[in-house]
Amino acid sequence: MSRAMCMTWRHSSRLFSCCPLPFTSPLLLAPSHFHYIIPDIIVSHHHSHLLSSFTQNPSSQSSIMESSPPHHQQNESNGTHNISKKSKPMLISESDLRFEFSHHDPSIARINNGSFGSCPASVTAAQHHWQLLFLRQPDHFYFNRLQPAILRSRTLIKDLVNADHVDEISLVDNATTAAAIVLQQIAWAFTEGRFQRGDAVVMLHYAYGAVKKSIHAYVCRAGGQVIEVPLPFPVNSNEEIVDEFRRALMRGKANSGRVRLAVIDHITSMPSVLIPVKELVKICREEGVDQVFVDAAHGIGCTDVDMKEIGADFYTSNLHKWFFCPPSVAFLYCRKTPETSPELHHPVVSHEYGNGLAIESGWIGTRDYSAQLVVSDAIEFTNRFEGGIEGIKKRNHDGVVEMGKMLASAWGTNLGTPQEMCASLIMVGLPVSLGISSDSDAMKLRKHLRENFGVEVPIYYRHPKDGEVNPITGYARISYQVYNTIDDYYKFRDAVNQLVSDGFTCALFPK
Amino acid sequence: MDSDRGENGDSSHNHVSKKPKLSAFISEEEIRQEFSHHQRGIARINNGLARIQNCCKGLINADSVDEVSLIDNATTAAAIVLQQIGRAFAQGKFQKGDVVVMLHCAFQSVKKSIQAYVTGAGGSVIEVQLPFPLTSKEEIVSEFRKGLEKGKSDGRHVRLAIIDHITSMPCVVVPVEELVKICRQEGVDQVFVDAAHAIGSVPVDVKEIGADFYVSNLHKWFFCPPSVAFLYCRKSPLSSEVHHPVVSHEFGNGLAIESSWIGTRDYSSQLVVPSVLEFVNRFEGGIEGIMMRNHEIVVKMGEMLAKSWGTNLGAPPEMCASMIMVGLPSRLFISSEEDAMRLRSYLRQHHGIEVPLHYQAPSDVEGGPKDKDGLVTGYARISHQVYNSFDDYCKFRDAINQLVEQRRSCKMLFME
Repeated sequence: MSRAMCMTWRHSSRLFSCCPLPFTSPLLLAPSHFHYIIPDIIVSHHHSHLLSSFTQNPSSQSSIMESSPPHHQQNESNGTHNISKKSKPMLISESDLRFEFSHHDPSIARINNGSFGSCPASVTAAQHHWQLLFLRQPDHFYFNRLQPAILRSRTLIKDLVNADHVDEISLVDNATTAAAIVLQQIAWAFTEGRFQRGDAVVMLHYAYGAVKKSIHAYVCRAGGQVIEVPLPFPVNSNEEIVDEFRRALMRGKANSGRVRLAVIDHITSMPSVLIPVKELVKICREEGVDQVFVDAAHGIGCTDVDMKEIGADFYTSNLHKWFFCPPSVAFLYCRKTPETSPELHHPVVSHEYGNGLAIESGWIGTRDYSAQLVVSDAIEFTNRFEGGIEGIKKRNHDGVVEMGKMLASAWGTNLGTPQEMCASLIMVGLPVSLGISSDSDAMKLRKHLRENFGVEVPIYYRHPKDGEVNPITGYARISYQVYNTIDDYYKFRDAVNQLVSDGFTCALFPK
Repeated sequence: MDSDRGENGDSSHNHVSKKPKLSAFISEEEIRQEFSHHQRGIARINNGLARIQNCCKGLINADSVDEVSLIDNATTAAAIVLQQIGRAFAQGKFQKGDVVVMLHCAFQSVKKSIQAYVTGAGGSVIEVQLPFPLTSKEEIVSEFRKGLEKGKSDGRHVRLAIIDHITSMPCVVVPVEELVKICRQEGVDQVFVDAAHAIGSVPVDVKEIGADFYVSNLHKWFFCPPSVAFLYCRKSPLSSEVHHPVVSHEFGNGLAIESSWIGTRDYSSQLVVPSVLEFVNRFEGGIEGIMMRNHEIVVKMGEMLAKSWGTNLGAPPEMCASMIMVGLPSRLFISSEEDAMRLRSYLRQHHGIEVPLHYQAPSDVEGGPKDKDGLVTGYARISHQVYNSFDDYCKFRDAINQLVEQRRSCKMLFME
């Protein structure tokens, strides 16, 4: 028995749940024929031959009820399914792809994969299977199934990100939670006197809002000071970022002497820029920064994520953004070192407190862990594409660059970064005539595009520098994911062209 | 809310109209349908509690929605309350050695949370022994008073008392109102009631109870999916010190608002609360009726089992809600927690019975209750919820009797 399971034997459980059936169905607009309920047998069809699966003998599925979700049946029983282990799975067809994302609102050009990600129907079906397994017999699930399933997910991620040891991989809800975990130990270090008042934490000016608040809550309150690295935008090269970063580290060391933590985005949120993290981590080591935390909310499935290459102490990425997992699941990588690593804990303390972050995170009280259990299904989904996740990343990048250039050309504007400084998101300048002159304008324009043009895209307000003539002050952050088509971007192009030709400006929005 | 129900895609059930049916309440058949996803063949007498959001405030008689935060579970609530205690120690607002008082049978995760946030920050902890088995609530009250005395000794300050409304193992209903009053009389700074099992199990009036913090899970006894709980925080000058540990955009806007967005995740179990209210109103007497019947039946079933096995109940019926502790025959020789776990697994695997078991070490002084063969050291915590049937308990009764007849003790289980 694994250690995690040994621990659980000793604890009398607070009991789990009893929940009537109608409340368990996911709110996603899944096609009603996608999975159906026969009395006491739940069948889900989510392997690649979606349409042909309806002709499969349901009795072969009934044994699934007591064991793992269908995906694992596939791997365990070679002969009984259409896909054997040995033959290469058929590549996903256009119609299967439409099917997988048929729950997306068809009236919207969805070019904001960055905010909330996306999840194909086959993966949500697998998730739903886990949810029902729990409700069916929660005690058995808790004692016997949950921890092995979490360990499986963690092991798969360890391989995906080239970590040395599965202990280094913890599963948490999202990057926001990971930030709280990393910052909490910084706060403790200040409280316990290991860090001095005034020791610094360095972060990028474009760090995510929630992370900034977390730094304020955990660091400033405990006596640390914060140094922000200003970043130019639009940006033209990695050197611009590296220079600013070096300067900020100098400032940190000049003021107080010790920089205890550097928080570096792998891909900033708004504006979105691919940061040269490997280089910045090197600089941190050279300059004696204690710890480096890379916030790669947009990381896995979007850009190359190799823990040993990047060399950070902590690295987090959301799997629900670009890795096709349901909301929400993220991994937090904590490098194991021969020296004593700082002790990280999940802030929600439960039975496993003290057994290491990975084990602690595996049980933080009764809740729905199903999103953490479908990593294998997400991987299976990516393998239905040519080149797997690598192929998807490359095509997303090429696609978003092409679309970005198309839009910039159509509007007579520019891109916010060179194409090598973006992954599957890119910043496209909006026509000056739209008159975006504040964050509030950007929000209102975004809402206007959503409600009146059926386009979902986040808009960034860029404060012009003094002396700039006719500056571009608004940028759209477009994304490209497997479900997008060129029509999505034409719709956006035409919407903006319409606004321009109508003489629209943000000044027209009611105050 | 109607559109939400439509989108659930639940076409196999008749939609329940918003107006209460004039005809019969929910039928047996409908109950079975609602719980058809439960595993057949398992006598499931092991259940939990649940909570509510906007409707919550009305249900628990809170003054304002600002006082009601929705979070994952009681474990999270403990982290929230204890983190602010930890910060107060760290900032020197509390003296090293100031005290947190809790029951010795407080839930394990809460104990660990105290270890992490209180002991780690320099606070000390006093555990109040809960006598068990017990015959009256006075036994609890007097032990609690003793605990507070100890806490105040040497000029220390009792900064927080953590009191379970319904303890987990062993399971008894604690006279929280009385204990909170004592806390106020004795100058305890804050009182946190851990009522994981309360809502849907006992009536909950947070103003009557008078605690500073009160948490209850809605997924245990209030039919919500995993997981959702409410944490009530009485408005006070210290309210702004309480934060959700996962800091996001809403940091500083009050716990209720902070908790409403803690990053991208699935909040859907918090959103079905109104539908749950509809569900409970399909039963005679609504949630009060359900609570009353659960209590009556679990007491009857407890008495039936105790009679059949020749054992005792762990607490009088008035100190139980929808769960009750039933003594297991001494011939099973349950002499450790491991034995209890072993027997529990055995019952699950070989008899299809799911029921948590508690090991109660005999007290040095009196020994403890006895059956005709020896000391009763094991108790089963049985529950009753609307999906249970008489057969569930008969199955349990017979399985235990069979073990006793076969002269099989815990240590012999799994050895064929």
